[in-house]
Amino acid sequence: MMLTESPIRRLDAKAPGLAEELKRDLDIDITRCLECGKCSGGCSYAHGFDYTPRKMVQLIKLEERGKLLRMRALWTCLSCQLCLDRCPSSIDMPRILDYLRGKAYAERLNDVHPEIEKFYEIMLSDIRNNGRISETLMMARFNFATRRYFSNADLGMKLFFKGKLKLFGPKTKNLNSLRALFAKLLFRSPAEQEPS
Amino acid sequence: MAVAFYPGCSHHALAEEYDRSARTICAHLQLELKEVEDWNCCGATAAHSLSPDLSLALNMRNLSQVKKMGLDEVITPCSGCFNRLKVAAHEIEHHPAALQNFAAMAQCELPSQVNVRHLLQFILEQYPSQQIESLVKKPLRGLKLAAYYGCLLTRPAAVVQFDDPEQPVALDGLMRSLGAQTVTWSHKAECCGGGFSASEPGIAGDLGGQILASAKDAGAEAIVAACPLCQMNLDSRQALGCDLPIVYFTQLMGLAFGYGWNEMRFSKLLTSPKPLLSRLGLL
Amino acid sequence: MSEKATALIIGGGIAGMEAALKLGQGGYRAVLAEKDHSLGGTVSKLCSSFPRWEDPQDLLRLKEQQLQSLETISILRDTEITGIEKKKGTFHATWKNSSGEEGALNAQAVIVATGFDLFDASIYGEYGYGIYPGVVNSLEFEQVLKDHTDGKAALPRNIAFFKCVGSRDRSKGHPYCSKICCMYTAKQAGTAKNLSPESKCYVFYMDYRAAGKEYEEFVRSVIEEKQVRYVRGRPSKVVMEKGQLLVRFEDTLIGAPMEVAVDMVVLASAVIPKPATRRLAEMLGLKTDEYGFIEAEYGSAVKAQENIFFAGGCGFAVETIGASAQGAAAAAEVMALFNKGGKP
Repeated sequence: MMLTESPIRRLDAKAPGLAEELKRDLDIDITRCLECGKCSGGCSYAHGFDYTPRKMVQLIKLEERGKLLRMRALWTCLSCQLCLDRCPSSIDMPRILDYLRGKAYAERLNDVHPEIEKFYEIMLSDIRNNGRISETLMMARFNFATRRYFSNADLGMKLFFKGKLKLFGPKTKNLNSLRALFAKLLFRSPAEQEPS
Repeated sequence: MAVAFYPGCSHHALAEEYDRSARTICAHLQLELKEVEDWNCCGATAAHSLSPDLSLALNMRNLSQVKKMGLDEVITPCSGCFNRLKVAAHEIEHHPAALQNFAAMAQCELPSQVNVRHLLQFILEQYPSQQIESLVKKPLRGLKLAAYYGCLLTRPAAVVQFDDPEQPVALDGLMRSLGAQTVTWSHKAECCGGGFSASEPGIAGDLGGQILASAKDAGAEAIVAACPLCQMNLDSRQALGCDLPIVYFTQLMGLAFGYGWNEMRFSKLLTSPKPLLSRLGLL
Repeated sequence: MSEKATALIIGGGIAGMEAALKLGQGGYRAVLAEKDHSLGGTVSKLCSSFPRWEDPQDLLRLKEQQLQSLETISILRDTEITGIEKKKGTFHATWKNSSGEEGALNAQAVIVATGFDLFDASIYGEYGYGIYPGVVNSLEFEQVLKDHTDGKAALPRNIAFFKCVGSRDRSKGHPYCSKICCMYTAKQAGTAKNLSPESKCYVFYMDYRAAGKEYEEFVRSVIEEKQVRYVRGRPSKVVMEKGQLLVRFEDTLIGAPMEVAVDMVVLASAVIPKPATRRLAEMLGLKTDEYGFIEAEYGSAVKAQENIFFAGGCGFAVETIGASAQGAAAAAEVMALFNKGGKP
């Protein structure tokens, strides 16, 4: 019997909830991981991550939900699919990250890369409102929302002179079907996230 | 031959030269492109990043629009759109029950068996190289290209099933059919970071810069691309001293088929290929 | 069984040679058919051996000398077995040699010893085998070592060794461990350091498997004495940078992506069955596993079926000493069969 709680973390062999959740919801079995690191050595941006993909698998095994949902790499992963294609066990890491990011978004846990989330939201609100996106308006709204008034300004000028910036483009006509999808499938409505 | 065509949002402004050159060479190949009626954005990285289901549903709707036209194949020139459409088609085939739900939400029929191909894939699989070669009026002799495929055109291999995800060769082969040379280089299928060109330009600059440097190191004088996001991103990441033109494969096909500078809208590219093409007598 | 009972041994590598040797030394008759001119199979391509840094060619010379002194053993060089069938307890085999001659022979027992192949590493586009000069497989590297020893071509300065290329990879269809790579990679890296002490050698590993007599000590000596740098992590990609090969990997102990510049990359490709093994297994109706390696009957390490035995790499990856032991075991099975109830 222990009188004081041990300062040493105690391991429990029982499969953690998150691993079981991934198996159930995504049919992805992380026990297949060989811990080889091939995913992480070739990852497009692991050199800028707080956790490499291999470490993420370990976080799942250790039920570190909080770390996973708040990590920077959740937002700076490029979804380039390299890790999946190189994995000797074909573990679909990009899909796991989509799943976790969706949760982090729904639970408003992203305080590491709000600008990336904002960009996605602006893009999605464009799609919800028009069915398609207009890069020019989207960029303007993004720069305004993140107060980066001069970000990419050089590029903007170049594009302007090339005639590549157009304010309005063709829209999707049947927007009702799209809005139904947004209403049911996006955890948070992009409307409530419009730049104030 | 007629096929459904999904142009993607960038066709209208940012990648107008890709759209115009693609339509011109398709007409030249006697391929009738029927634009998908009332298509919607594929959602790109934004949709699958915040809601993977929304991404599937948006593209399920696009595929159902193709079916509505009485067609069962759609081609697109954008690797990002291609990937999202292809993943949706794959999910419809493998998890029809979940997708059936989305179809009910969007009040459309679940589109089954819609074949999705990238424009590059379609051209390569539909037109034998001899046929392409026979159409070449102005061989691109002396043009040393790095064929760039990026990440989403060939990955994930199990879903996309096009070319090799690590050492793809399709675009190299097509360029050689046009008389150009392609270099051996190691970044043909690395990610350019284009998805972050607006929101995290630092990442896009880092990855795009590595690709430009690798192409230059391998002796390429231009990069040929098959995706508007890749093209735009690479072309805007040219650091000091790097001036590699990033051209669309459709522009080079058009050039080889006898179309001119203006028709292929080369002037729309940020880094002008004029000095290079003039030097080689290709203009 | 009659005193003329003959065993047909298919494959003259170290396993087949050892089987023939034991049968011959016991006074039994055997025909050893080898498709190449020289005997020795894979071992004939090796530059050194583990765990004692011996020259494998010395071993082959010794075995071949011993074989040649045996009257009951005939060796068919440059000869392939083109067909074989069993009728009333006798195997009728046909053969063809490189000069186009054909023939037939009968045998009362068969030992399959066809060896193994290496997985085609070009399937991993990310490693650039067949694309970048300087990326070789492990058997090709044995030749690089030999060329250096013979003064034909100098060893590249810095070398990276990748283990598990094809092995332990479900996505490429070979989930199994190829068993011998950990040891021969240690040997190759150590040999490179012996030949060129100023070279830098990096061995990339997921773990190293050194289960054998003196094996662990051997690997440790390569790390500690030969100063071969072991790096834990499965390499992800080889890129070209200014004419050099750059290996990208995660150091999985520190958890950071890293890269290292080298002049040569050696891929320890998975051990796979030879097409010849599949053909023979089909002709003889032998049971094989899902990869095409011959399966043993319950209770024996080397018996495939009634009067049919196997030894060496056609059953699974095995090192030189193990292949020899299996050859001897197969010979013992044949002797027991031929000598049922008395002397031959």
